[in-house]
Amino acid sequence: MTGATLIAREEWRALLRNRAGLVATALLVLLVLVASFTSLERHSSIEADRAHYQATVDHAFDQQPDRHPHRMVHYGQFVFRPIAPLAFFDSGVDSFTGNIIFLEGHRQNSANFAEARQSSLLLRFGQLTPAFVLQTLAPLLLIFLGFASVARERERGTLRLMLAHGINGRELLLGKLLGHAAIALAVGLPAFIVLLGFALAGAAAWPETLLMLGGYSAWLLLWVLLSVSASALVQRPRDALAVLVGLWMVVVILLPRVLPEVAAARISLDTKIETEIVLHRELAAIGDSHDPEDPYFNEFREKVLAEYGVESIEELPVQYAGLVGIEGERLTSAIYAEAASRSAARESAQNRFVHAFSALSPLLAIRQLSMTLAGSDAGAHSDFLQQAEDFRYRFVQQLNRMQAELLPGISGEDPRISATYWQDIPRFDYQALDPLRRQEDILWPFVVLVGWIGGLLTIAAFAAQRLERIAK
Amino acid sequence: MTPVHAEALLLLKSGRNLVALLLLVALSVAAVWSGSVQVSGQQEVIERVAQAQEEDLAAVEQAQAGPRGDPGYAGYYAFMLTQDPPPALAFAAMGLRDLQPYVLRVRALGLQQQLYDAEIYNPELALPGVFDWAFVLVYLTPLVIIALAHDLVTGEREAGRLRLLLSLPGGGVWRRRVILRYLLVVIALGLPLIVGACLAAAPMTGTAAMLLTAALYCAFWFGLALLLGSLLRASTTAAAAMTGCWIVLTLILPTLGNAVIARAIPAGKGIDLTLAQREAVHAGWDIPKSETFERFFSSHPQWREKGQFEGRFHWKWYYAMHQVGDEAVAEDVVAYRTSLIAREDWTRRLGYVLPGVGAMTIVHRLADTDQLGQFAYQDSIAGFHEKLRHFYYPYLFNDRPFTRADFNQIPRYAPRVQSDSLAVVSLLMLMLVAALLAYLGARGIARVSGVQ
Repeated sequence: MTGATLIAREEWRALLRNRAGLVATALLVLLVLVASFTSLERHSSIEADRAHYQATVDHAFDQQPDRHPHRMVHYGQFVFRPIAPLAFFDSGVDSFTGNIIFLEGHRQNSANFAEARQSSLLLRFGQLTPAFVLQTLAPLLLIFLGFASVARERERGTLRLMLAHGINGRELLLGKLLGHAAIALAVGLPAFIVLLGFALAGAAAWPETLLMLGGYSAWLLLWVLLSVSASALVQRPRDALAVLVGLWMVVVILLPRVLPEVAAARISLDTKIETEIVLHRELAAIGDSHDPEDPYFNEFREKVLAEYGVESIEELPVQYAGLVGIEGERLTSAIYAEAASRSAARESAQNRFVHAFSALSPLLAIRQLSMTLAGSDAGAHSDFLQQAEDFRYRFVQQLNRMQAELLPGISGEDPRISATYWQDIPRFDYQALDPLRRQEDILWPFVVLVGWIGGLLTIAAFAAQRLERIAK
Repeated sequence: MTPVHAEALLLLKSGRNLVALLLLVALSVAAVWSGSVQVSGQQEVIERVAQAQEEDLAAVEQAQAGPRGDPGYAGYYAFMLTQDPPPALAFAAMGLRDLQPYVLRVRALGLQQQLYDAEIYNPELALPGVFDWAFVLVYLTPLVIIALAHDLVTGEREAGRLRLLLSLPGGGVWRRRVILRYLLVVIALGLPLIVGACLAAAPMTGTAAMLLTAALYCAFWFGLALLLGSLLRASTTAAAAMTGCWIVLTLILPTLGNAVIARAIPAGKGIDLTLAQREAVHAGWDIPKSETFERFFSSHPQWREKGQFEGRFHWKWYYAMHQVGDEAVAEDVVAYRTSLIAREDWTRRLGYVLPGVGAMTIVHRLADTDQLGQFAYQDSIAGFHEKLRHFYYPYLFNDRPFTRADFNQIPRYAPRVQSDSLAVVSLLMLMLVAALLAYLGARGIARVSGVQ
């Protein structure tokens, strides 16, 4: 293997002489640092904003005066989605999802004020995060550094010379690969150091950090393998450059944009309006609580009376309207949940369709892996929505129970309960989704990346053999 | 065979050039097709929603207009549909239409708690951005131009033909080559656009302005290619340098610009106004009703005499309270819109120096699918909402019953007038930058010719 290390060292020397390459590498490293810094700064300002808003609205809830509990059901609670610590590294879909939801009784409001809806189209050029630099720009740098690695030797005739001097094709290619792999890791290093620093400071968990490092290392190595193999297979450096930039364009820019259009055309989502209309129709089909002749609510009344062992509503120790409220909330929430899971199923079918093509465009694999580990993917967002909905149901039902149980003891035509009760209502306590529990979302991207690397190694072995033939 | 014919033959005989041009044609056709599919998809959704909405409204009418005939209930339950059909040129530049709602239901209650509701969309599909003609123009065409033009000079030098070429009588060989390539690129981009525009019955002027933008943007990249080609000695270096320029101009600087703009101009007022509106409406229940009415009557004096009612609740007070809630946050609403417009303005200004951003701004303004188009839609919703409120007030304040016939009188939303415009300064700046680069490129070529 001394031949290979010799070649690798020679390659480094050649790259050191390549002034444009050095400048480009330095720029990329600088860009990673700038991206880390700005993204971290943005991250912490968003986090501070949301924490501030959350504290403000929680305080405002506590400060509400004596009221009828149903009024508090509609005063509702605002919840803000806290961002995951690693989202600074990969902001994922965070800018495209609304991060504030208004929670109230018998309605499921949408999460609003997504950054992408408040930004100009400039946002669509991409967001400056370390992940953007590593996913989109680093492959291009590796192409520029690697496209000439073998083709250059071939064009100048030094290839034949080396092979004639007893260096075999395999050694040669291995040496080039080693040289460029080391450079690729060096290119990734600043971003990796930032990640490791985060883990060391305890701000991010080690398993996620290490998996992230592993994923991005595989991603960068994949491009090294691609560019060196292409360089060994073609006749002239510029052909290698054309092929590689073309591939990059298809894999990194084109397919990730085209596939979602296909997915959206194949599987359509219902609009919120249609969902609401269906919901009202289904609710109306169950019954009308205001109608004394309504069969569903008659049955419900009989059940309640039997449960409390009384003959009429007036004899109930609790407020009947409050019980109807609890039952109504249960019914609406179930129908909403069904609609939400239908919609979520369609969305994940769309995403699965796109992910299925990650074998063609490994960018999809690394993006998925990175977002999942950073806690900024669509799965983490829908988990937030689910937690918010569970919370909404709990606190609305608690208020409804207050209405049923406390109001019978209060007389007057405007019955209110004491404001001190509002402090018994729980506040939203978001539990971040543990990425490690989502093994499939992590495993598959790795399978794709390793598969690509394996396939490219085979191609490299084939290229090495072909190089041998030149010598003969 | 004329020289132009000969050049065309030479150009198309080169495998790389042919592949690059065919690729551009294919991408451009695919993009126009994909954009048209998205446009018809949105039209279908609008029709589907309109149908469902009609049925829903009929059900509300059935339930409310019977014995009760209470205008308060009618206004509470009768949501009215607003829709923003895709503008004619949207197929070429979808802009923000994949994120921003193009159907929204409103009722006569507080507008500000209804206006910013999000439609359902899949964030992961939205993340990479839309695949449309504007994307092919801004991102991919420069790469094709790089493939076609990076070695115009260096390639000849490397092949050892440069001296011979320059010694040929007649000159103009570069001009012929460059113009031929340039025209082919513009045609590859333009023809599918023209076909799409005809099918969509898009206005001629808008389509022509889009074509002009494409022509200028291509001229910029050809100029850059010639300039770098004349400065650098090797084709490979020229290609690498041009791709570097492309990365900086379409990937790095726009993302940096976005980060700076987002940070410098916060848009938190949207959340502020939502929170303030809730407080205003809910406080209404705890303060004397006369206070709410007083505020309402100061902006709606025509109902001042009709503020009395018996009992604890009357719908007219409820509707007045919602309106007062909207009025309480009017300043925040203006501030919110101002911050979003400032973001648009700075993006446009960034486009004066970054041709990619400039071209993006111009084509989306022409297609009316940018943030300004969404503002126009929101404003038209606000106008409709006002009409809707004022429709219910006479019933509420005069205690008039709301009958079945009245349901037919509820105002319907009429789609907004298109707000597309030509971003003149952006276009002039693009023209200037393109002319500058074309001049520099031509001078570079002239210098090469002179030296040899």
